[in-house]
Amino acid sequence: MVYTMGNTLLYVEDLSVAYGDKVVIKDINFVEKDVSRKDTTGQVIAVVGRSGRGKSTIFRALTGLVKPTTGKILIADTLSEDENSAKEVEEGDVGFVDQKYTLFRNKTVSEALMFALRNKEITTKEKKEKIEEYLTKWGLLKMKDQYPCELSGGQRQRTAIIEQIFCSGHYMVLDEPFSGLDVGNIEDVKNAFNLISTNHSFNTIIYSTHDIELAVELADSIYVIGYPTIDGNLMSYGTIVKHVDMKERGLAWREFGLSHIEVVKEIKAKMMET
Amino acid sequence: MKKIFNPFEDVSKSTRLLLILFWATCLAIFWVASSLGETHLFPTPTQVFTGFKELYQEGLVIHIFSSIWLCVKAIVIAIILSLTFTYLSTVPLINTLAKAISRLRYLPLTGITFYMAILINDARSMQVWVLVVFMSTYLTTSLLSMIDSIPQEEFDHARSLKCNRWEVLWQVVVIGRIDHVIEVIRQNLAIVWMMLVTVESILVAAGGLGFLIKNSDKFMNHGRIIALQIVILVVGLSIDFVLNYLRKSFFRYSKI
Repeated sequence: MVYTMGNTLLYVEDLSVAYGDKVVIKDINFVEKDVSRKDTTGQVIAVVGRSGRGKSTIFRALTGLVKPTTGKILIADTLSEDENSAKEVEEGDVGFVDQKYTLFRNKTVSEALMFALRNKEITTKEKKEKIEEYLTKWGLLKMKDQYPCELSGGQRQRTAIIEQIFCSGHYMVLDEPFSGLDVGNIEDVKNAFNLISTNHSFNTIIYSTHDIELAVELADSIYVIGYPTIDGNLMSYGTIVKHVDMKERGLAWREFGLSHIEVVKEIKAKMMET
Repeated sequence: MKKIFNPFEDVSKSTRLLLILFWATCLAIFWVASSLGETHLFPTPTQVFTGFKELYQEGLVIHIFSSIWLCVKAIVIAIILSLTFTYLSTVPLINTLAKAISRLRYLPLTGITFYMAILINDARSMQVWVLVVFMSTYLTTSLLSMIDSIPQEEFDHARSLKCNRWEVLWQVVVIGRIDHVIEVIRQNLAIVWMMLVTVESILVAAGGLGFLIKNSDKFMNHGRIIALQIVILVVGLSIDFVLNYLRKSFFRYSKI
C-alpha cells in the first residue's frame, strides 16, 4: 500500500531508567513519523517482549509517569503553530491505559468522562453532548451511570480509553490491552484502535502484548524488547533488540496471511534469544 | 449433616439459622448451669433482669446517651486529627510525624493520663481528650495502612489525566476513599467503645455506662454488671451496624 512519511511524532533518544542501582531499560532509541496513506490514519505501534524486560517501564517513561535517568522523549507539539516543533513529554501529554483498566472507583462512567474534560474550554452542554456521542459510538450509553465495579472488563477498558482520548493529546499508550479478554472483547479493542486511528492522522497508539499474532496483525511498527547480548554476555536490562517495520515490508494494513506468520516466527525467535 | 464438620463447606440459610439457634441455646444452658449452686460464677437470668429494671429506673437511657455523646465528641476530634495527619503523610515533611503518631499506640494509658490531668482541669474534657489521644493513634495506624494499600495504578491514572499532586491526593485518597474511612472508624469502634467504658470508670465525671459499671462493681452487684455488659455490647453492635449500613447506602461503589 502506498504511504508517505511526514513529521516526526515521537522521538526517543538514549533513554534509560534506573531505580537506584538497578538499571531497568537502557539505550532505547527510536523515531516514529506521521504516516499518511489514502484514508487518513494514525499510527499503531506494538511493543513485545518477554516478561520482566522493561516494557511497562518504557511505557511509564513514554507517558511521563517516570522521569528518564538519561536521554529524552520528544513528542510533536501539536498546539504550536510551527509544524516541526517538539516538546519533552510530560505527565498527561500521553494517555495511558494500564492492564487493569484503572478508573476512579467513586465516579460513574459519565462523571469520569466529565472529569477528563474538566480542562477543555467548551461549555458544560457541549461536554455532555461529546460524552453522549462517544458513549453511543463506543456502545457504553446504557452504562453511563454505572460505577467501575459494576462494569465488565471490556466496558471498563473502553471507558478508560475514552477518558484518555478526552484528556490527552494524540498519543495513547495501552499496557497489554488484550490480556484476559474474550474473543468478543478482543474485537471491541480492535474496533477501538480503528476508531482512534481513523479519527486523526496524528493519533498514535502504542501497545504491548504477549500475543505476537495480534501485534503483527494490527501494528504497522513492532519493537521487540529484550536483554541485549554484548561481547557474548547477556545483559540484565531491557532494550530494543529488533524493530520490524511492517510498512516497509508491505505487510501493514493488510489481511493476516502467510507473510505475517513468517514475521511472527521471526519475532518469537528473537524473543527466545533475549 | 456431614457438611457442617468440613472446612470450607457451603451451608444453606436454614442450616446457618439452625446453627445460630444451637449456639444460642448452648450459651443459655451454660449461663443457667453456671448460675446454679451456692458458689455460682454468673448471676441468674432473673438477677440480670432485675439489674436491667433497676438500671432503667436509675436513668440507664441517659447514661447510654451520655456515653454515646462522649464517644461522638471524641471520635469527631480524633478523626479530624487522624485524617489531617494521614492525608498530609503523603507530603514527605509530615510523613515521619504521622508514622510517629501511629507508633504512640504502644504508650501506656496511665502515664498519659497523669500529664493530661495536669493540663486539663475539667473531668469531662479529660475523658474526651484521653480518648482522643488513644483513638488518634489507632485511627492513624489504620488510615496510614489504607493509603499504603491504594494501588500505584490509581495514582498513575489520576496523573495521566493531568491531575497535579494535590489533585491526585484529593481525587484518589480523600474523596476516592471516604467509604474506607467509614470502614476504618467502624473497625476501630470496638477498641474505642471498650476504652470509652474504661475511661468513664477511671474518671467518674458525668455518668455514662463506665460509671454505672464501676458503681455496680463496687457493690458486687453481679446482676447489674452482666446487664450493663449486655447493654454495652448491644449499643456497640448497633453503632457498628449503623455505620456499615451508612457506608453501603451512601457509597454504591463500595465493595469492601
